[in-house]
Amino acid sequence: MSTDNKQSRFNRVLAGVIIAVLATSAGIWAARAVLERQSAMNELDATRFPAPREIQPFKLIDHNNAVFDNNALKQHWSFLFFGYTHCPDVCPTTLSVLNSVAQQLQDLDEDIRFIFVSVDPERDTPEQLARFVTYFNGDFIGVTGTPEGIEQLTKPLGILHMRVAAAEGASAYLVDHTASVLLFDPDGRYHAVFGAPLSADAVVSDFRKMLKAYQ
Amino acid sequence: MNSCLPRALTVLLLLSGSSLAMADATLAIGEPWIREAPPTARVMAGYLALTNAGDTPVTVTSISSPDFEAAEIHRTVVKEGVARMLPVTQLDIPANSQLKLEPGGLHLMLFEPQRPLLEGATVTLTIHRSNGSNVTVTAPVIRKTGGEDHSHHHH
Repeated sequence: MSTDNKQSRFNRVLAGVIIAVLATSAGIWAARAVLERQSAMNELDATRFPAPREIQPFKLIDHNNAVFDNNALKQHWSFLFFGYTHCPDVCPTTLSVLNSVAQQLQDLDEDIRFIFVSVDPERDTPEQLARFVTYFNGDFIGVTGTPEGIEQLTKPLGILHMRVAAAEGASAYLVDHTASVLLFDPDGRYHAVFGAPLSADAVVSDFRKMLKAYQ
Repeated sequence: MNSCLPRALTVLLLLSGSSLAMADATLAIGEPWIREAPPTARVMAGYLALTNAGDTPVTVTSISSPDFEAAEIHRTVVKEGVARMLPVTQLDIPANSQLKLEPGGLHLMLFEPQRPLLEGATVTLTIHRSNGSNVTVTAPVIRKTGGEDHSHHHH
């Protein structure tokens, strides 16, 4: 009888110890998973916002003349780059890098869109944009609109753009512009930003980490 | 005999004057290429490497091309996230060094191509130096849209 009691007390203690050990290791495992995820986030090349930012309503058109507003940034990931079709160095270079990113992310079962927003709506008609963006990738989307429409999107995002005269004095002008690439999550929120110059490998590896953390 | 040779060379150098000194600073142009532009562009970008194998600095004052209405040297500068293109009035290449014009940095701004320039076409570029001499090279037009390095990713 007393041995039974001892035995059952021993069993209870043993069970308690096992539970404690399991709980501790589960805790450690969970903490480590969190820490690993966090350190993966710390190693990013991109700047990721701890709390993704909602963006104000805007209304533009894409290169097929369809409405492009806040809803066009939902249900899928979006990389946004701002530039203009007369831009000879930075824009073609960045779009080439983004095309490389698009190809490297093809293994993911994710809807990822690449959107080029014009900061030169006067010259960049939807037709002009269609020929420009699809030169780099048939799935890329060009977006333009009225100058006010462009401001609605760019200003709150801190995207700067200003015209400068081309040195030869012809009718052509250049546009200085923010060369960062912005990432929007499937909730249509501003999630992270990649600074220039852009590296395809860094964007690909950062995106994979952020996708994991988001899921 | 051995000690005579350097002296003879020195004399020769002094006699021949500046023309020989000029030839000392050799400028070689490597890997010139023009980025094929999307069908919308009236401005194209060109890149090349300038190697000064000489012992004196070389200054490039301009680059010209009969294939364009105008050519300028520009530098893309990214400051606080904003990309600006600044005209560059001259390129200084120190002795025994190389200066590269490459995407996202120094580049040639080539305005108004005089004929369609698609991949496979070539362009003539003349590099003008401050000492009055020129180097002319042929640059191929190359299509670079980012898929080149990952052609094995076919799905």
